[in-house]
Amino acid sequence: MTKALEVENLVKDYGDFRALKGISFEVNQGEIFGLIGPNAAGKTTALRIISTLLRITSGQVKVFGYDVAKQADEVRKTISYLPEEAGAYKNLSGKNYLEFIAEFYSENKQEKIELLDKGIELAKLGERLKNKVNTYSKGMTRRLLVARALMISPQLAILDEPTSGLDVIISQEIRGIIKGFVRQGTTVLLSSHNMLEVDFLCDRIALINQGEIIETGLPRELKERYQAKNIEEVFIKAIR
Amino acid sequence: MKNFFNIFKKEVKELLTKQLLLGLVFMMVMFGIMGHFIGGIEGEEAKPINLAVLDLDKSSYSENILETLSKQENLIMERITEADTQKAIVQAKEKGNKVLLVIPENLEKNIKEMKRTDLEIYSIIEAIGIKGMKAFSGSALNLGINSVSKGISTGFIKEAFPDKNPESIINPLNINEFVVVKDKINPGSPAIIAGLIISQSIMIPVILMMLILYAGGTVMTSMASEKENKTLETLLTLPVKRISIIIGKMSGAAVVALMMAAVFLGGFRYYTSSVVPSALDGGTILENLGLTMTPLSYILLGISLFLAILIALAGCMILGMFAQDTKSAQTLNMPIVLLVMIPYFLLMFQDIGTLSLPMKMFVYAIPFAHPIIASKALLFGDYSMVLGGIVYMVIFAVAIMYLAVKLFNTDKILTAKFSIRIFKRQKNLN
Repeated sequence: MTKALEVENLVKDYGDFRALKGISFEVNQGEIFGLIGPNAAGKTTALRIISTLLRITSGQVKVFGYDVAKQADEVRKTISYLPEEAGAYKNLSGKNYLEFIAEFYSENKQEKIELLDKGIELAKLGERLKNKVNTYSKGMTRRLLVARALMISPQLAILDEPTSGLDVIISQEIRGIIKGFVRQGTTVLLSSHNMLEVDFLCDRIALINQGEIIETGLPRELKERYQAKNIEEVFIKAIR
Repeated sequence: MKNFFNIFKKEVKELLTKQLLLGLVFMMVMFGIMGHFIGGIEGEEAKPINLAVLDLDKSSYSENILETLSKQENLIMERITEADTQKAIVQAKEKGNKVLLVIPENLEKNIKEMKRTDLEIYSIIEAIGIKGMKAFSGSALNLGINSVSKGISTGFIKEAFPDKNPESIINPLNINEFVVVKDKINPGSPAIIAGLIISQSIMIPVILMMLILYAGGTVMTSMASEKENKTLETLLTLPVKRISIIIGKMSGAAVVALMMAAVFLGGFRYYTSSVVPSALDGGTILENLGLTMTPLSYILLGISLFLAILIALAGCMILGMFAQDTKSAQTLNMPIVLLVMIPYFLLMFQDIGTLSLPMKMFVYAIPFAHPIIASKALLFGDYSMVLGGIVYMVIFAVAIMYLAVKLFNTDKILTAKFSIRIFKRQKNLN
């Protein structure tokens, strides 16, 4: 099976503080892989490194065979990153924002129009797309951002807490969109501290705590191994 | 190139908000009103002065003075018939006169005895302000009195030396000044020439300062708002070269700043032209001395200005990386502002050559000093100084741009801020 992502002994230091203590995991092409852990476990740091935003202290990360440290430009062509607290340019309209992003990924006008149409369809904001982003609610902005991240059909979508702070209806909607994209061939790496969401979405998961991966496997397997009803219970038992 | 234009377009759209456009319109209106108001005050300068005169001498000499004054333009004379100065002041106030001239009673006697007489002028001030104070500018009054005074002296001289020219006795020495620039000689005083050069080259540092302040502030705010609005992380993971992001942002900020500076300078020019309606017509003097800008000079000055702005923008971009939000960005451009202000004030009225060696080295090291130096050096055809400055600025610009790109490629862009504590940073990252 082709590896979408290979993380090997990844270490990240911020001065004297070691945020990641040599984590390793792999993500297969076409799966949804969840990085699960509490706040400050190192999830966002790991995702930021994979997204070429942070430098590696030691270890290696490869995205579809491209080394994140040495071939960042190539990696950026294959990924789409949705940060947890991402925003959009407030003085642009939703449509202008999607156009701005589409421009980077299209070779010609036709391609740009196709990407934009896809973004408009995913955002489901109707006429409100013509309004400036600063008039959007949190849920509308998040929908726009998810549309932005997925409209380019990335090979690897890196989603940090994709439904964070959203109500159940919008969360369900976004989970549905993510699943739909995976069916079309996109690989997804997501982080979440919402264990139920993880259970619903992920094919495989890695439990991360204090910069270390403590378990990796299929949600079903892990539940059996720890004799737990859900992933939340698995996590609590695993960190003891 | 496509990515650069995309970022440039986005920057301009983001920066050109309704609030900014409204601000520009407001600025234009304000300058218009101020210029109109000041222009109105200047116009009032031509209004005549209401002069009250108390003649205590009542002699042919005092009559001569009054007759001369009555012929002066911008002077409306009114006689006051009181016995003393205090009462005359009260009467002048009542009649709305702003100035009272008192001719003492011993005028004729003093003149005949060739003694000096003190005339008294009382200015009645009721309000302080340019408009109010204009009424006291007694040039017409002084001219009249000086003319009478000279007339009296001339009369005495003519009487004593009928065959001599009184002017040669009053002013036996006369000065004819010439200025020599390279091989050209022209009548005029160095002070006038210096004044003309300063008045002509003063706009360069003003333009530079305005552009750097506006563009620097804009690029910094743009960087800070990327952080504040959480758009920076997304931008940095897009398949676009860091240099395209930097240049796109800088160009967008520069274009918006140019617009703002143009409005400001246009308004400022209108305002100053209202305050100083007619500048000294020194164009011909400077032309005769060869102190004019050639097309090549303009090109070199343009390059120098462009490089200074580029350096300032790159510097602001780097400083902007340390800003956490738009509020903190507003204070972070202080180092750049200071580096512009120091040469601006040092070189505005002083030539670089007159500074001490350490001071000279310090000023040369500041890249923003070079367009200011160039604006004067080009007038004197000192191209080597200008070219040297351009070479220095090119090296400086390349170095600072390289640093900006390097910083964009590191964690610093996301993690750098002033007064950081490691655990706090870690908290932010997770």
